[in-house]
Amino acid sequence: MASVIRAIFGYLFLILMVRVVGRRPGKQITPFEFILIFFLGGLTLTGMVGDEVSLSSAFCQIIAVACCHYAIVWLRTKSSRVARLLDGTPLLLLEQGQYRERTMQQMRVQNADLMAMARDQGMKTIEEIGTAVLERNGEISLIAKEK
Amino acid sequence: MAMTDVKTKPVEDLGHKVDDAISVGEDLDFQERWWKFENIVWSIFAVLLVMDFLGVFGRGVLAKAQASTPDGALLVKYERIERTLTPSVMRIYFQPNAAQGGTYKLYVSSSVVQELGNQRIAPEPQISAVGDGGYVYTFPALGQPASVSLSLEPASPGIYHFTLRVPGGQSLERTIVVVP
Repeated sequence: MASVIRAIFGYLFLILMVRVVGRRPGKQITPFEFILIFFLGGLTLTGMVGDEVSLSSAFCQIIAVACCHYAIVWLRTKSSRVARLLDGTPLLLLEQGQYRERTMQQMRVQNADLMAMARDQGMKTIEEIGTAVLERNGEISLIAKEK
Repeated sequence: MAMTDVKTKPVEDLGHKVDDAISVGEDLDFQERWWKFENIVWSIFAVLLVMDFLGVFGRGVLAKAQASTPDGALLVKYERIERTLTPSVMRIYFQPNAAQGGTYKLYVSSSVVQELGNQRIAPEPQISAVGDGGYVYTFPALGQPASVSLSLEPASPGIYHFTLRVPGGQSLERTIVVVP
């Protein structure tokens, strides 16, 4: 029982941590985020497992985390509030030729990130970007200015 | 052939449109509140880290403690905050007035063995006796200084009291908090 509670707590705590650490722009995770993920996972594991290293304990913990995950995903589809809490909302970074400075600063997005995405989509200058949106999954969507 | 009823609903726009071309669904009011929440969480994280460095959750300056029995026969150095399943050492120093006929005798309450998880006593006692809600260990006395170490490893979190004394002497009662 205690190991299952520890597993659920670990899972929920990791969700909070990942949500607070924030979205990073980019299609792929950087080496820094690799380190973060492995470290957070490994450290959580030590607390979750404790001295109960039996297969049955691991089995119950996996089932508990799976149920917890299913419940959260179900809640997210049923409630827009929960979805907003878990994923946030898309955020405009650039609109009508103007940067949203506060959003970029708070979300730790740099002009270089926008430019990298622009290059990725075949744009040559930042002026070609009409709208830039930081999506919920961390990707930046760019829409070219209408000519 | 019977057709299955396929439920449909009208497509709804998410809200905020940019240049009448894209619907983003941005909610800046929510985002502002979230950023405030994030700042609070980071502040709490910082406070928790400082508390951890200081030993509020064990293994730090604030966790270390020492106390003596009122008759001065024993001095004990221990950690007032312990961590579950984490080893620590309770060191007990016998003062000169603790010697009784060439031996040092030590009474420890049963909580030291049961709740606080005493794993080992170094050096091993010559005689161990049970009763009076605890254990009495007898060690041959060679002289001063003299100390014994109890290796603790609490199995579960909680607030536990323990008692130490030289049999016939005055008791020392203290509390150890075991954090998860």
